[in-house]
Amino acid sequence: MTALIWATTALLFAAGLAMVVLRRQLLAMLLGVELMIAAVNVSLVHHAGLFSDAEAMAAVAIILAVAAAEAVVGLSLILRVLRAGRGVDAGALTELRG
Amino acid sequence: MTPADVPLEAWLLFAAPIAAILFGFFVLRPTKPEWTHLPILLSCAIVTACSFALAARVYSGHSFDLNVWRWAAAGKWAVDFGLRVDGPGVAVLAMVSLVGSLIHVYAAGYMKGDPGFSRFFLVFHLFFLAMIGLLTANNFLQLYLFWELVGVASYLLIGFWFHKESARKAAFKAFMTNRVGDFGFLIALLYILANFNVTHFHLIYSLIDKGVRPDALPAIGALLVWAACAKSAQFPLYFWLPDAMEGPTPTSALMHAATMVTAGVFLLVRSWPLIAAVPWLPPLVAGIGAFTAVFAAVIAATKKDLKRILAYSTVSHLGIMMLALGLGQVALAVFHLVVHGFFKAVLFLCAGNVGHAIHKPTANVDEVGGWRKALPWTYACFLIAALSLAGVWPFAGFFSKDAILDAAWEGGGWIKWASLFIAFGSAFYIFRMLLLTFHGQRPEQKGLKAHPHEAEAGMVAPVFFLALGALLVGLLAPAVQHLVAVGWLGMPQALPQFPGGLNLPGSPLIPELSFKDLFGRGGLMALLGFAAAYYLTMVDAGWDWRWRRNAPALEAVFESDFGWKILVGWIADGVVSGARFAGRVLDKKWWDGLIEGSADASRGAAGMLAGCASGRLNDYLWWMATGAALLLGRALR
Amino acid sequence: MTLFAVMLAAAVAVAFAGVMVFSRSLYVSAVCLLVVLLQTGVIFLLRGAPLLGLLQVMIYAGAVMVLVVITIMATGGEPEKGFERFADFSFPRWLAAAGLGAAALEIGMTLLLGGFSDAGAAPAAPALGAAFSAALFSSYAPATEAATVLMFLAALAVLPDKEGA
Repeated sequence: MTALIWATTALLFAAGLAMVVLRRQLLAMLLGVELMIAAVNVSLVHHAGLFSDAEAMAAVAIILAVAAAEAVVGLSLILRVLRAGRGVDAGALTELRG
Repeated sequence: MTPADVPLEAWLLFAAPIAAILFGFFVLRPTKPEWTHLPILLSCAIVTACSFALAARVYSGHSFDLNVWRWAAAGKWAVDFGLRVDGPGVAVLAMVSLVGSLIHVYAAGYMKGDPGFSRFFLVFHLFFLAMIGLLTANNFLQLYLFWELVGVASYLLIGFWFHKESARKAAFKAFMTNRVGDFGFLIALLYILANFNVTHFHLIYSLIDKGVRPDALPAIGALLVWAACAKSAQFPLYFWLPDAMEGPTPTSALMHAATMVTAGVFLLVRSWPLIAAVPWLPPLVAGIGAFTAVFAAVIAATKKDLKRILAYSTVSHLGIMMLALGLGQVALAVFHLVVHGFFKAVLFLCAGNVGHAIHKPTANVDEVGGWRKALPWTYACFLIAALSLAGVWPFAGFFSKDAILDAAWEGGGWIKWASLFIAFGSAFYIFRMLLLTFHGQRPEQKGLKAHPHEAEAGMVAPVFFLALGALLVGLLAPAVQHLVAVGWLGMPQALPQFPGGLNLPGSPLIPELSFKDLFGRGGLMALLGFAAAYYLTMVDAGWDWRWRRNAPALEAVFESDFGWKILVGWIADGVVSGARFAGRVLDKKWWDGLIEGSADASRGAAGMLAGCASGRLNDYLWWMATGAALLLGRALR
Repeated sequence: MTLFAVMLAAAVAVAFAGVMVFSRSLYVSAVCLLVVLLQTGVIFLLRGAPLLGLLQVMIYAGAVMVLVVITIMATGGEPEKGFERFADFSFPRWLAAAGLGAAALEIGMTLLLGGFSDAGAAPAAPALGAAFSAALFSSYAPATEAATVLMFLAALAVLPDKEGA
């Protein structure tokens, strides 16, 4: 069972990481971040049950809340970028060049 | 002895010339340059008086050697300035100051009207000062300093008429050749410092006496001999001296006859205990001296320019001095140095008068001839000096030269026959010069058609007094011997191959005069030389020009000094092109290219690394992800 | 029994995650993510944390994804001419993917070789739920409060600009 959970976590996390690093649109990156967080939550919950650690579950709850908040902030940032006329393409945002 | 005990004469020896030069440079040169010679002549008089006073002091046994000032010190090494007033130094100093002062007087007349009059006197006196410093130096380092300064003054004076290309080239050649020798001196200095930790003469004498570091001595001695060969124009490195005649005649008379070139011999005199401690060095010195003397005498007999004949004659006589040293006759070498100073100066100044008569810096035998009645004083002085050079009794040269040649005869080997030839050769070339210039009318010469006139009193009087010296200095032989023997501080008492020491009291210097000696070997050779010269210039009057016409190849051989000048030219060209290669290719192209290329390389590397800062979000994310994953992998392991 | 259920949920989640990465349309990606989050909630349920499962579905799948879809609608997620899925890198794209893959592989190998203990498929103790709730308001109370404050702060994100740019 643990091996299964670990495999799931690994694959989901890798998929989320691939989304963040490889895709062009900012929104796609955000989706990837959400996926990564979900994967980690899966692993945390399983181990919490395994070791009967209630506080770990509490931690998962907090993570959930914070992740939701972060998703909201991220979305609003993307909207701001859009409103500034810069598009949602990560390749166009190159102020850090050089 | 402390600096407070040093007699006033020794301080004045330096103070007077320094004051004269500073006053002349800063006050007179900008305002009244034609008066520059006045404080300098005064300084000359003071220096001469002081040097004779010091000589009297040393003669009575009060020589001294002390450090006056410590210039720099580091650990166990120190550089000191000091004064060493002892026998050989003060003997040469007296000659230098007297001859030098008279030549200064001559120069006042000779250089009158030259636009560089002020500069000439200042540099000339600077040279005088440097020579005084050299003769009173108490350690090798100080001697090296003044040695170099003398070389600088020589460069400035040879190239005095710098608008002439031949003068510039000659000055450069002289300086470079001396530099080659000076390099040997520098290496010797470093060896001395490394092995003995001190450079003071009296300390080194005592260290050698105790037998410290005998294996360092051959190298040091050989290098010092090399340096002396450059400065005193001995065989491998003599070729700068004939070309140095481009300088004004007072320069030639003082520097290249009496004083600067004798600095090399003087160095060997000062280093004598060091050199005598190595078994093969004195014979080497004697061999070099004898060979040079013969070589130069032959070439002197073939030259047409008066000053160049005298230049080769100087080389030949320096060879005789080296020969005397090599045979262990140190006092005799010093004595010949003193005597040579007088008669060679007379000869040069007479050549200057001859040139002055036709308004040229020097004269060629083609432009003169039969001037005996036109220039009577010059002729008389020249005759006295010529007889002195040839070693005829009772002139001074007899006492020194003949004694040396006698010692050479005792020495044995090829040097015996070389010494005979030297006696013959020197008489031949000097009488050839005398007869061609002052006697006889030959069709190839301009002769009296050039309307020569005697020089003014200011130029004749010094020559006259010097000629008196050339006549009478021979009487001072015992004085010189006494000075050298008694006044030499710290002299080791016995040296291995010279059990009698260095003509210490007890061994006779002057051979017993007898009728046999008057017409002994030396006298006979001189007579033969005179006879040959008379025949080939008066009886067969056109011989000198005829052999040149008939055998121009032979003349070319003599012109190139038996090919030695050509060889030296090749070596110099090789060195120059090597230097050019090192400078242009090695330094500029490769090394600078490497340094600048390193800048380009780092710029390129930076450019490559700058590619990481692309501004692309995805690039940064990728680096973060990959890097964190790899680090995590390491941490987990 | 739960093993198979978890296996099924996990398989569905991974499959839809794969589709999400490679889909051309952002809408499809969002919907796929929704499915994955739902599956995650199921896994939470199966592993003995029903409250967390509920929270996950409610908050994530319910609220956050809706917001995301709305934003995708605002920014345009349909494939059109010249719509590129993947970004350009300073180095070739395959190298980026390979690098990521290699790093993941290395960590995977490390874990595999390191070994792990399999504590079985036992369901969690029932008292865990109560302990969890208690923990939220006792030892994790500050964290809970902080998360609440964070929510309020996140609301600032949706404040409009003064100029309305």
